[in-house]
Amino acid sequence: MSALPNPAGAIAPAFDAAFDGARGLATLRLTGPGADNVLDEPLATALVEAVAWAHALPGLRGLIVSSAHPDFCRGPDPDRWLATPDAAALLARVRRVQQALRRLETCGVPVVAVLAGAVSDGGLELALACHRRVAVDDPRLRLELPALGFGLLPAAGATQRLPRLLGLGPALELLLRPAPLRGEAARRAGLVDALFADHEAALADARRWLATRPDPAQAFDRPGWVLPGPGPRSTAARDLVLSAAGALHQRTAGSQPAPELLLRAVHEGCGLVFDRALEVEARLAVNAARSATTAALIRTLWQHRRRAEALTGGAGGAAGPRVGILGAGLMGAGLAYHCATRGCEVVLRDVDPVALDRARERWARRSPGDGAAVPGALSPSAHAAALARITPTLALEPLAGCALLIEAVDEALALKQRVLAETEPLLAPGALWASNTSALPLASIAAQARDPARVLGLHFFSPVERMPLLELVRGALTSEATLERALAFAGALGKVPIVVGDGYGFYTTRVFLAYLVEGAELVAEGHAPALVEWAARHAGMAVGPLQVADEVGLALARQILAGAQQQLGRPAASPGTRLLAALVETQGRGGRAAGAGYYSYVEGQRRGLWPGLGALSAPGRVGLPVTRDSAAQVGQRLLLIQSVEAVRALAEGIVTHARDADLGAVLGLGFAPGTGGPLAYLDRLGLPAACARLDALAAVHGARFAPPPLLREAAARGEPFYPVTE
Amino acid sequence: MGEAFVFDAVRTPRGLGKSQGALYTVRPVELLATVLRALPARNALDSALIEDVIIGCVTQTEEQGACIARWGALEAGFDPRVPGVTVHRYCASGLQAVNQAAALVASGYAELVVAGGVESMSRVRMGADGGAQYDPALQWAVGSVPQGIAADLLATLRGIGRHDLDAFALRSQQRAVAARDAGHFARSLIPVCDVNGLPLLERDEHLRPDTTLERLAQLKPAFATLGRQGALDALTRRAYPQLEAIEHVHTAGNASGIVDGAAAVLIGSRARGEALGLRPRARIVSAVSVGDDPVLMLWGPVPATRLALERARLTLDEIDLFEVNEAFAAVPLAYAQEFGLELDRINVDGGAIALGHPLGATGAMLLGTLLEALERRGLQRGLVTLCIGGGMGTATIIERV
Repeated sequence: MSALPNPAGAIAPAFDAAFDGARGLATLRLTGPGADNVLDEPLATALVEAVAWAHALPGLRGLIVSSAHPDFCRGPDPDRWLATPDAAALLARVRRVQQALRRLETCGVPVVAVLAGAVSDGGLELALACHRRVAVDDPRLRLELPALGFGLLPAAGATQRLPRLLGLGPALELLLRPAPLRGEAARRAGLVDALFADHEAALADARRWLATRPDPAQAFDRPGWVLPGPGPRSTAARDLVLSAAGALHQRTAGSQPAPELLLRAVHEGCGLVFDRALEVEARLAVNAARSATTAALIRTLWQHRRRAEALTGGAGGAAGPRVGILGAGLMGAGLAYHCATRGCEVVLRDVDPVALDRARERWARRSPGDGAAVPGALSPSAHAAALARITPTLALEPLAGCALLIEAVDEALALKQRVLAETEPLLAPGALWASNTSALPLASIAAQARDPARVLGLHFFSPVERMPLLELVRGALTSEATLERALAFAGALGKVPIVVGDGYGFYTTRVFLAYLVEGAELVAEGHAPALVEWAARHAGMAVGPLQVADEVGLALARQILAGAQQQLGRPAASPGTRLLAALVETQGRGGRAAGAGYYSYVEGQRRGLWPGLGALSAPGRVGLPVTRDSAAQVGQRLLLIQSVEAVRALAEGIVTHARDADLGAVLGLGFAPGTGGPLAYLDRLGLPAACARLDALAAVHGARFAPPPLLREAAARGEPFYPVTE
Repeated sequence: MGEAFVFDAVRTPRGLGKSQGALYTVRPVELLATVLRALPARNALDSALIEDVIIGCVTQTEEQGACIARWGALEAGFDPRVPGVTVHRYCASGLQAVNQAAALVASGYAELVVAGGVESMSRVRMGADGGAQYDPALQWAVGSVPQGIAADLLATLRGIGRHDLDAFALRSQQRAVAARDAGHFARSLIPVCDVNGLPLLERDEHLRPDTTLERLAQLKPAFATLGRQGALDALTRRAYPQLEAIEHVHTAGNASGIVDGAAAVLIGSRARGEALGLRPRARIVSAVSVGDDPVLMLWGPVPATRLALERARLTLDEIDLFEVNEAFAAVPLAYAQEFGLELDRINVDGGAIALGHPLGATGAMLLGTLLEALERRGLQRGLVTLCIGGGMGTATIIERV
C-alpha cells in the first residue's frame, strides 16, 4: 500500500491520512491529542480538510475512518457547553460540527467507520455519518450517549440520523432510555453492521465492502426514500410519540427539560428535509445546553464530582486492600460482594451462621448464570472470581490480617461499641477501623477505642454497587494518614467521596431525615398524599418522601428521629412525627419490609397509597384544596427544608464546602440533580428571595424553616454559595 | 339587536360508522346534500333565497376536506349564488354552525341561513386529519390527552363509578328505543336513498334494544391499555397531581357511538319568515362558547351553561329540558351532579350513547331533537350543550314561540 506524505495543514495532528492507490481507498485514522479523539470544532475543521484532500485523490473509491487510540471517539467534555453563553455563537459552533459531518456523508464516495472501544456522544454521531459501521467486538466496545445524563442533547445529527436509519420507534428507545450498547446488542439494534474479532479483520471487511462499489450516499439522501416504519405524520407515529411523551412524563414527572427537547427534536425533525432537520436539532440542543438545569447538572455531576474523585488519587484499577466486614446483613453482604468485585480480598464475619448463609444466597442471586443478560451483572467468570475472594467466617482470627475493618452491624450503639472492643485489638498498626453507621457519632462508638486516630466513618449507600457516594466521617481524633488511606480505598472501589465532620446524622442522614419528616408533615396537614409524592418528583427528587420512608422503614426512621431530637434538639414533636408514630404503633404499618406503610404492598410490590392515610392524619377534616400552584409549593417546601439542613451542617462545620453538600445530597439522597444541590438551589432562588420565602414558610409552618444565621448573613452580604465567576 | 328564529330542523338517520354501516356507501357530500335538499323541499323555498350554508364537520380531510359546505349545497342543487362555509369546533361544530347562523341573523347581516353538520365516520376515520395538538412541545406546555383518558379522569375526579355509567347508558338506550318506537323522530328524519331513490337507511341503526346492565358490565374498559401501557394517564398528573391513578370505567357501551349522519336547520329573521310563509318554531335566546381546562377537556358544558343562562337572563329552573351530549356517560352525569338536576329533564329521548355521535353533525341534531321534545310536551325552554376537544363548551338556549 503506497502512502502519500501526510498532507500539511489542518489535517495533522487530527488525522493520519493514507491512500492506497491500487484499491482507491483512503484511510483517515483519528489521532487526537492525548489518549482521546474528541469531536469538537478543531476536529470538525480537520475533517473538512481531510475530505477535501481525499476528494482530490486520483481514483478514490472509498474512505475508511478509524482510530489510532483504543477508543474510537467521544464528544467534548460536558463543561465545554458552558463556555459559550451567547446563543447565536453556540448555535454557530454546533452547526459547524454538523456541517463537517454532512460533508463527510456527502463527499461522493462511500465511507466506512471501523469502531473499537468507546464510541460516545459525538463519536457515535461521527460513526452514524458514515455509510457503514463495523466494529471490533471485545469487552471494551460500547456505543453510548452519556451526555444525556448531563441534560445535553446529541447535537451532531443523532436525533435525525437514528430515526432515518432505524425508524421512529427504535430510535426513540435508544435516545430516551439510553444505556451503553455492547457489540452484539449494537449489531441487533442496527447501529453496527458487522462485528469482528480484531482490528485487522474489521479493516479487511471494510476494504471488501468498498470494493463492491456501494452507493456513496445514505439511504435518506437517495430519491424516493421513505422513513422506515410508520411515516412521520402518520397516526401510528403520532401514537408512538404520544406514548413516548407519556412514558417520559411518568419517569421524570416533568422535572427535566432535556428529554422533552430530545423528543421534540426527533418528532419535529423526522418529517423535514434532512439538512433543515439538522437545524431543528441544533436549535433545540442549544436550548437544552443553555438551560439552568443543564448548567446545574454539569456543575455538580461533572465538575464537583471529578474534583471529589481526584481526591482519591485516581479511580481503582489496582487491587484494593484486604478488607474485613463485620455483620452479614443486607449492607454487609452487599459491601463484601462489591469490594470483592473491585479486587479486594474480603473477610465477612458474623456471629450467626444463618446470616452468613443468607449472605451467600444474596450473592448467588447476583449472577443469573450463563445465557441471561441482566444489565450491570458481571460475567459468570468475574462473579466466580469475586466470590472466590470472599471468606465468610464466624471466627475473629481471620480479621487480623485486614488493612481495614468496616463494621456494618445493626444501628445500636452498645452493639457497635462491643464490636469495636472485640475487633480493634486484632488490627495491625496502621490498619483502619471504620463504621458504616448512618447516624451514630464516631465519638460515641469509639469512645473506648485504643487508637482513635485510626477510627473513621465510612457511610456507604444502598445498593452499594449502584450508589457512587461514600460519606467519609472524620472524627475529632482521626488522623490525616487515616483519611488519606481511606480516600485511596474509596478510589479502589470507584466511589465519589465527601469528607464530613462528626455529629449525629453526619451530613446526609440529617438532610434525609428533614425530607422524610417534611413528607409526614405535609400529609398530616391534609395534603393529598399522591400530590406530595408527585410534587417531590416534579421538583426533581428521585423518589417521593413517603415512598422513601417506606423503603428505609418507618421504625428505623423514628429511631433516627429520636436520636436527632436527643442529640441535635431537632426536629420538634409535630403532627408529622405523630403521624409516623401512629403509622408504626397504632396501625402496624412499618414500611415495605413490614408489608405495609404509607403504601400498600402485595408480595413486596408497591400497590398504591394506603387510602386510610387521610383519616389517620386529620380525622374528620376535609383535605386541602388543590390549586394550580399546589404542586409547585409543596415541591419547594420539600427542597427548602433540605436546603436549610444543609446550611446548618455547613455552619456547624460538618461539611466544609458547598460543593460537598451539593454532591453528597445529589449522589447520596437523590436530591433534585437539576438544581445542582441544596445549596446551589438557594443560589438559584437568590439568597434574599430564599430567605424571604423561608421566613414566610416559618411564619405559617414553624421554626424549622427559619433561615439560619449563616444564610441571612450571606444574603445580606450578597455572597452566594458559589461565586458568580465560576 | 334583532332575533333569530328556527323554522325547521331535519336530520338523516345515523348509520353505523364502519364498513357494515348502511351509509358506508354514501359519499359524505351526498350525505350532506340529503338534508340540504330537504329544507327547501319541505318549506316550498327557493334555495336562491338562502344567504349562506354553514356546516360543521370535524375530520376535514379526504372526502370531507376543503369546504364540504359549498360542495354539499351544490350537490343538493342549491342555486350557485348560495355560498357555503365549513366550521370546526370539534364535537360542537354542528351547534357552532347554528350559533353562527343565529348571530348573522340577529345582527341583521343576513335574513335566512342554513346551519348544520355532516360526518361520515365510516369513510373518513376520526383522526385522519392529524391535529395541531399531537405535538410534544404542546404536551409539555399545555397538556392534552385523548378524550377517552379525559373521560375516565372526569369520572375519577367526580367519583362516578362504572355502575353509574352503565346505568346511564341503559337509560339512553331505553329512551331512544321508546322514542323511535313511538315515532318521535318521524317528523324530522329524512331517509337516505341511493341513486335510484331506493332507501338505504330510514331509521337510526346504532340502537341496541337488547341492552342490559349485565351485558354492559361485561364490556372491557376501552382506555385502560392506552392509559397504563401507553403511559398516557401520566400526562394528566401535572394538572391533577392529587390523583394517584385514573379509574378506567368507560367502555364501548357507555360512550357515544361512532356513526355517519348529517343535519340541517333553517334559521332566519321573523320578517323574512313571514314574507316566505315560514312558521317560526323557536327563538334562539342565547348562544355561547367558552374555554375550560384542556386536560380535563369535557367539563366545558358547565361554564358554557352558566354563561348562556347569564346572557339570557334566565335561571336553571327556567329551563324545561336539556340536551347534554353523551360523548361519554360521565359527561351528562357530572353535569347533572354539578347543577343538582334530575336526570329526567336531560336527554329525554335518549342520546349519543344509543343513537351515535356523528361528530360535526351532532350539535345541529340535538337542537332539532330538543325542539321536538319541547313541542311534544308543550314545554317552553330548552338548552343544548356539548363538550368539546381541547377543553371548550358550547351552549344554546331556545324558547318556543
